[in-house]
Amino acid sequence: MIAKRAFLPFFAAMLASVGTWTAAQEKSASPQTESVVAASTASVTSRDSKPAKSNAAKTETPLKNDGAERFEGEKRFRANCGRCHVAPHKFPPRMMATIVRHMRVRATITDEDMHLILLYMTQ
Amino acid sequence: MLYAPCVDVHAAGLRSRCLGDRPRALTIIFCTVIFGLALLFSSSLWAQEETDAPKPVPILSAGTAFVTNFEGGSPHLNPLFAPVILIPLGSHWLIESRATFESDLSQPPGSSEFHGEVEKGVDYAQLDYIANRFLTIAAGRFLTPFNIYNERYYPVWIRNLQSDPLILPIGLGPSNASTGIMTRGGFSMSQKVELNYAAFFSTLITVSPMDSSRFAGGRIGLYLPDQRVELGGSFQHLLQDERSNAFGFYFAWQPPPVPLDVRGEYARSNQGSGYWIESAYRLSQIAVWHDVLRKTQVVARVQQFFTGTVTNDVLPSVNTQVFEFGLNYYFHDNFRAVSSYGRRFSSQGNENVWTAGFTYRFVMPMLLGASK
Repeated sequence: MIAKRAFLPFFAAMLASVGTWTAAQEKSASPQTESVVAASTASVTSRDSKPAKSNAAKTETPLKNDGAERFEGEKRFRANCGRCHVAPHKFPPRMMATIVRHMRVRATITDEDMHLILLYMTQ
Repeated sequence: MLYAPCVDVHAAGLRSRCLGDRPRALTIIFCTVIFGLALLFSSSLWAQEETDAPKPVPILSAGTAFVTNFEGGSPHLNPLFAPVILIPLGSHWLIESRATFESDLSQPPGSSEFHGEVEKGVDYAQLDYIANRFLTIAAGRFLTPFNIYNERYYPVWIRNLQSDPLILPIGLGPSNASTGIMTRGGFSMSQKVELNYAAFFSTLITVSPMDSSRFAGGRIGLYLPDQRVELGGSFQHLLQDERSNAFGFYFAWQPPPVPLDVRGEYARSNQGSGYWIESAYRLSQIAVWHDVLRKTQVVARVQQFFTGTVTNDVLPSVNTQVFEFGLNYYFHDNFRAVSSYGRRFSSQGNENVWTAGFTYRFVMPMLLGASK
């Protein structure tokens, strides 16, 4: 059994490590993203090459409405939403923006999945 | 009052429930440090974002159900209404809350009328901050992230069978919720693997129906999107009373070419252990009567529970196993008829459990014109 005095510092240290690591990942991901975004229309099927954080930062948005992204959005919609419940019909865009944010937290879907699903569901 | 007086607790011999000034201060400092660290490392907090994306609006949603069940021949009526409110703030914040109003109406001996009380509860009321693509921080009252049924399959309009799994209460604390702070997130590790995690700390609250235990724990899972396989494990350490541990594992699989869901969980604590495995199949691949069968779902679930060393009112008091078969019909993606038959085996006697009813879910904006 883990003693309380040992557990709390351990828990805090673990979270601090996670925070440090995510911040490092954030910084290292940003430069790559710029070039990746430029080529994103050709490589949207790659889960790593998608408009990650910094693009997502400019973004909650301008994901290009080309067929490849729409296809990828539908694919991720089927894969993620269908994990728990029957895939719902489309809602108006502003409602959909709230719903995907809720699902981002509730179902821990990834940032890129959230943006591509939002793109698909608001077409 | 959140904390019981030390004097009374000592008199009752419950040392661990005495949360005097020192542990309380420690809790506050601990939560403050976690929150501060998370904010410090969330670079997106300082970023100014310009966005053309649709601006999210507050939403009111609700899951409702009216289910009749017969347990050992006794009829029960179970109406339920669970409203959900979502209020987005800016581009990173979200306030979300769900309450549940439900009743178990039954016939008193000698009466043909159904009687019962409406039970009210706040399932969660939390403030979320999406710090970056790896980290989301939630504070307030939240669903305990132990295994995945409680967070993801629990709503009546989602669950395939209306009865709860026997092991559901294990690791969740009273009322299935925690009060404190939680960090969580999900991100791609590679093209084929996504990682999701949750870590939380909950404090003791004894005021019903907002009660929660003092514990900490977490969950980590892997999702393989190509195979649509999800695997994970949970851990929880109780920081009061017997200071026990609980752990669990879960999996879910949706083979892409087949409309089949296979799910399961295992949980173990000093209150007991057990597992459930459920499969649900949509009959959309059958050519005959396609319009009807594609909306029809058959479900089967098997589960076993084994008692532990500590009793819990919400867990079976003896070893129990249950087999259930269900048949659901989707009139629409948010409206369906549900039914099931189950057989429950235990040393207290075997019994049949029948259920039949309807579930419905709606979503509506809380601002005029937002639906356009």
